[in-house]
Amino acid sequence: MLNWNLYSRGDKFFAIVVSVMIGMFTAATLYPFIYIAAVSFSSGFAAQAGKVVLPPIDATLEAYGYIIGDPKFWISYRNTFIYTIGGTLMSLAFIIPGAYALSRPQLKGRRFFNLFIAFTMWFNAGLIPFFLNMRDLNLLDSMFGIILAFAVNAFNIILLRNFFEAIPRSFEEAARMDGANDFQVLWKVFIPLSKPAIATITLFCIVSRWNGFFWAMVLLQSEDKIPLQVFLRHTIATLSDNDEFAIVQTDAGFSAETVTAAIIVCSIIPVLIVYPFIQKYFEKGILLGGVKE
Amino acid sequence: MAGVSLRSIIKRYGALQVVHGIDLEVAEQEFVVLVGPSGCGKSTTLRMIAGLEDISEGELSIDGRFMNRVAPKDRDVAMVFQNYALYPHLNVADNMAFGLRIRRMPKDQIATTISETAEILGLTDYLDRRPADLSGGQRQRVAMGRAIVRHPKVFLFDEPLSNLDAKLRTQMRAEIKRLHNRLGVTSIYVTHDQVEAMTLADRIVVMNDGRIEQVGTPMELFNNPVNTFVAGFLGSPPMNQVKGVLTETGARIGGMDVSLNGAINGHAGRDVIVGIRPEHVMLEPGDATSSLPIELDLVEPLGSEALLHARFGQDNMVFKADTNGEIAHLSGVKQVHVPADLIKLFDAETGRALELGA
Repeated sequence: MLNWNLYSRGDKFFAIVVSVMIGMFTAATLYPFIYIAAVSFSSGFAAQAGKVVLPPIDATLEAYGYIIGDPKFWISYRNTFIYTIGGTLMSLAFIIPGAYALSRPQLKGRRFFNLFIAFTMWFNAGLIPFFLNMRDLNLLDSMFGIILAFAVNAFNIILLRNFFEAIPRSFEEAARMDGANDFQVLWKVFIPLSKPAIATITLFCIVSRWNGFFWAMVLLQSEDKIPLQVFLRHTIATLSDNDEFAIVQTDAGFSAETVTAAIIVCSIIPVLIVYPFIQKYFEKGILLGGVKE
Repeated sequence: MAGVSLRSIIKRYGALQVVHGIDLEVAEQEFVVLVGPSGCGKSTTLRMIAGLEDISEGELSIDGRFMNRVAPKDRDVAMVFQNYALYPHLNVADNMAFGLRIRRMPKDQIATTISETAEILGLTDYLDRRPADLSGGQRQRVAMGRAIVRHPKVFLFDEPLSNLDAKLRTQMRAEIKRLHNRLGVTSIYVTHDQVEAMTLADRIVVMNDGRIEQVGTPMELFNNPVNTFVAGFLGSPPMNQVKGVLTETGARIGGMDVSLNGAINGHAGRDVIVGIRPEHVMLEPGDATSSLPIELDLVEPLGSEALLHARFGQDNMVFKADTNGEIAHLSGVKQVHVPADLIKLFDAETGRALELGA
């Protein structure tokens, strides 16, 4: 229990201000999500007229009915899963060994490689050269291209490298004395000890892959390869100026707004489901008890 | 079981040389303790034996095999680390089994080895626990267990007791000694604690500044230190060292003459350092003792004995005296007596021990 008597007036004031600010921040973060969910469950007419503020108006599931009936929605949904799972695994396969190598003092040219990796955080070739590069590698309009192209991320490598560096040297030495080679030291000691950091990076990868929109739009042409975010954009673009659709929707009780909102809700749900599973690895103090300093 | 041989071992970090040519033969089943102050190169030497540090120059062999360029895992040595280095994500049994699994020992054999070792170390009830749920002493035992299960040729200990409290340290010290007596594995043990060195070692190697000062059994080193460094390092409290000069009949320190055992033989006038062990001092005069007037400064009771801190001339000295259950009689001490045959002499310039002629 919070004992207010232990707080000075200044502390109380500070605590109140902080609480109010956190409350406002929470509301500002949550409201767009609630609003989109409300729109997706509202009637097309109410949404178009801008009547939805917090609760759904004239609640209906027709927008969901419409997108569920569209096979392209399911294809793009499947693609997003492929890009997210494949891309995240590919990223981890590069980032973990890369970070481990860069964290080892025995790596020759370590300073150079570290600088080289960090360099890419500030400078890169830019849109056109990257596109041309992908074209020359025959990776345009290729699902594998999307998975491979963004596998290495300097920020994540540096994050994990710093975590690896903080692991006491004697763990590695003990494992070596026990007969472990480099790969076994990484796999059996460093990875289990770095679960919190790896969970963080995994979440970063999942979220960025799931929301990845721009490059997918630039690099993919075939409709059967686009991810959900690009499908969403197509939907917004086509529904907004589609007369035929406008006629259908007056009868159907959904509109471009509610369909868009429904797709957004569908795209958010998997991330909401995944987060609690990853969050349990954000536990602190996993190194506790292993060494005594 | 195997011997370890170090020949002219040198360690350099860039231009900085930290170990200057170590020569040491450790016999099979021997327990050798490397002791010295911080930064004397003892841990570096141990890590070179383990293979965790490169050897810059010289030759290392274990069991007669040249080891300089052999990977740590292939040297068949096991090491107990100062900070234990237990894998926090594994329980006690898995920690001990780690090395065995990597070496692909059959499962049932691993299980037998672990339960035998746990039995020896009193860890049977803790096999399912993680390191975080163990006390300091238990963690230390697990660290030893991890070394023992592999049945290595050589055990290396890197200050394994320095993180334990004083009482536990004494207990674990005895356990290590018992374990060595039972297993008889060649052991090299690094510590800065001279009590650990004295109690555990078959032979002690005193190191200073990257060099070996003296090698010998604990009593050899205690009774016949080759120089003032060894004399000052072993023994608690350390040997009193007082500047003096040799005379025709003995030595003169702090304006007083003390008689010595042995003939001066023309050394008269030579500057020396006179070494007197605190425990060799007597409160009553005896045969062939010299009396030294002192100004008592402080009495520290330790129970059965007490430490007397005193001024003698320009020097501070510490003596040990029996209390016989009380210390009142010690506060009036005005002079002490030193037996001629227990006084040590060192050259004032080089610090090396001087032997007087018969």
